[in-house]
Amino acid sequence: MTDLERLWEDYPVGPAPAADILREGRRRITARRRHAVTRPLLAAGTVLALGAAFLTGTLVHRDAGGSGAGTGTTAGQHAGPTGPSPVAFQADLPAATSCGQLLSSYVDRGLARVTAWGWDDGMLGGLFDDQANVPLPSVAGSAASMDGFAAATGTVRQTSSATGTNVQEAGVDEPDTVKTDGHLLVRVHGGDLLVYDVTGAAPAQVASLALPRVSDPELLLTGSTVVVLGTDSITPAGADGHGTAGTRVLTVSLADPAQPAVADDVAYSATLLSARQHGDVVRLVLSSGLPDLGFVHPTGKRTDKEALAANRALVQHSTLADWLPTYDAGSGSSQLLDCHNVAIPPADLGLDTVSVVGFTAAAPTRPTAIGLAGAIGVAYESADDLYLTGVPQTSARCPGCVQPLAGPAALGPAPDGKTDVFDFALYGDTAIHVATGTVNGIIADRWSMDSVDGSLRVAVGASSTTADANAILTFRREGTRLVESGRLGGLGRHEQIQAVRWFDDLAIVVTYRRTDPMYAVDLADPAHPRLLGSLKLPGFSSYLHPLGHHRMIGVGAITAHERSTAQVGLFDVSDLSHIRRLDVHAFGTGTTAVAGEDARAFTWLPEHRTVLTVIRHGRAGYLAILRLHAGRLVTTTVPVGHGGDVDQARTIGLPDGRVLLVTASGVRFLAL
Amino acid sequence: MDDDAEAAYSRYAAEQWGRLVRAAVFLGAGPHEAEDLAQTTLVRCYAGWARVTNADNRDAYVYRMLLNCLRDQRRTRWWRGRVDVPTDVLAAGERIEDTSEAVAIADAVHRALATLTKPNRDVVVLRYFVQLSEAQTAAALGISAGTVKSRLSRSLARLAADQHLLDLTGESR
Repeated sequence: MTDLERLWEDYPVGPAPAADILREGRRRITARRRHAVTRPLLAAGTVLALGAAFLTGTLVHRDAGGSGAGTGTTAGQHAGPTGPSPVAFQADLPAATSCGQLLSSYVDRGLARVTAWGWDDGMLGGLFDDQANVPLPSVAGSAASMDGFAAATGTVRQTSSATGTNVQEAGVDEPDTVKTDGHLLVRVHGGDLLVYDVTGAAPAQVASLALPRVSDPELLLTGSTVVVLGTDSITPAGADGHGTAGTRVLTVSLADPAQPAVADDVAYSATLLSARQHGDVVRLVLSSGLPDLGFVHPTGKRTDKEALAANRALVQHSTLADWLPTYDAGSGSSQLLDCHNVAIPPADLGLDTVSVVGFTAAAPTRPTAIGLAGAIGVAYESADDLYLTGVPQTSARCPGCVQPLAGPAALGPAPDGKTDVFDFALYGDTAIHVATGTVNGIIADRWSMDSVDGSLRVAVGASSTTADANAILTFRREGTRLVESGRLGGLGRHEQIQAVRWFDDLAIVVTYRRTDPMYAVDLADPAHPRLLGSLKLPGFSSYLHPLGHHRMIGVGAITAHERSTAQVGLFDVSDLSHIRRLDVHAFGTGTTAVAGEDARAFTWLPEHRTVLTVIRHGRAGYLAILRLHAGRLVTTTVPVGHGGDVDQARTIGLPDGRVLLVTASGVRFLAL
Repeated sequence: MDDDAEAAYSRYAAEQWGRLVRAAVFLGAGPHEAEDLAQTTLVRCYAGWARVTNADNRDAYVYRMLLNCLRDQRRTRWWRGRVDVPTDVLAAGERIEDTSEAVAIADAVHRALATLTKPNRDVVVLRYFVQLSEAQTAAALGISAGTVKSRLSRSLARLAADQHLLDLTGESR
């Protein structure tokens, strides 16, 4: 690779022909405006019967089930994969009244989307489906409330989850390649599940188990059950990345750690967007994507018009089996969603089918599932609520105009600059849609959202209808609406949000263009978010981690000559109106901090006053060990492998204070 | 587009130009074609700039656009012929200072990356060379982050094992 890297850098490139590009860009915008007049109306005439599903069942009250795991379920809800949940849609999302109505909703919207080249100019749908994917935040950080914490506005220490993963939300665990309960450690390596005893002087492997029919697996651990989530390798997406990859869920019993055994094996014909575990309940958000209907495209013998007509006919003759996901627990494939449990979204929502699936680790073959016949961008789950953001319909058919093609719709809100947010209350393994809100601005990813005591806070980027700056918004639930109750705008004009960290009554936001403005926002009065202070520094932080009430770590980068250098900063946040950087450690040129993309590559060990974070340099990976000493960072590094192995490197602090380093080459204790 | 936004766009275009041209070459374009593609990509981005400018995955969008432009170009290639000449109205001719060096490097790169399938090459170029994040690469290619990871490690292993790489650069330097 070094030869290729040298060729990359040696390749002679002149300056950008900026004037030509600008002139041509302006010219095409003018051309586009002329075309826009003839643009066909999408899904015209669709009028939604708002609230139609409102009275179909008894309202379930939040306090009925409490927030404990599994408490909201009853035996009746386990009747099968489409367990009856007549009350699944209690707000303005109407459930389909019949399978016929659901199918015509798909067909109508499909006809608005299909072109002579298939979906969206030949690019199959589901383009940006993965932007909300499980492991990889580009904006990082959140802390939940801590019991008994009642001090003034400030940061709060956050440590890894009970299974050793650095997660967004305390109490809500996230899948990872390594999990531990303090005594046993499980990890995936190659296609195998390896089990280690970590109670001795050195970790000892006690068993390995080949994981069947699943690729790129990740793990959850609850009690003595490992839940394995991965891409179904029986029905993988096409080699060109088109088509929808299925998801496989295996449960493995560790009742006898030396003899791990696959207990259950369930396949879903939809791609995993998000997986979370709360107590013994596992919740999945799955996307089915647009069906591959065998579209044709124009050839020498087939004109554009003929191809379009053929493709429209294919959409018209599609069946619900094309659109709805299936589920197979070993006894044959069946439909995951009952038509009556699928909500038909507002007409401007993109075309997709999103399933919200819940099951207990003990009974993965009996999930409950509800669906939304629309596209979502971001899934954020707190202990009590699941929030999904809508992705607007792309206007695929705009002959001759310069289309931003298929993807960008998912990049931002609809042309009116607004993003729908659907709030699902969680009761055990069931999810109930309880409210919808509209956010004016762009929600970048799950780390931009936070929920505390049922109220939602969001960090948004600018949209076409907002001022060109970022904002913090607070929402309260009024009936079935999420109503904006407070807004603080003007955070970083022309800049993008890089990191957000939420506390009960505080948000810390990093934006970036050339310098790193870090803002502290007081949320104690949700109706009046207040800017406490800001700090500008070169470079930026893409992951923030609070060490405690006085100190915070920012992991990020500083850019020079198109090459970025990873850096870790130590901040004093004891006075939020005067955040100070106490120290910064920059790594070599061309390094990147993996934690900026994947918070799981970061561990804070309070008892050692040490931060561990993985740094990548070309193909090589290093674990940076940063010890806090007298307001400084004392840094050493340890190699952790090469290539794809670097992304798998993890560190875990055990309850007894010992620290495990898990790399492709094995599991060992780390001497600090 | 107002003046501020246009200034931001120009700055972005200037910053990205080198990476875009190199990426196009690594994705299989010849030197002139690569500059055309980079230019077309940026021109198309201008039209969608208001939606893109604050999007967190702006880079993913831009590189997706580059891949689409490349695909469009390939689609019409059979009747235009495969000769790498500046075709666009925005003639690219004199911007490549040393055409022979560019041609030699592009050639070496194409031979080196020929061992990879197109999906794997796309991942390597976006993730490894352009240095998009895993999530951005996934978004740009419309695949899952897990697939990015597995394709990347497979491809890097493949390239590392490839003996041809050793004599790659003899003629280009």
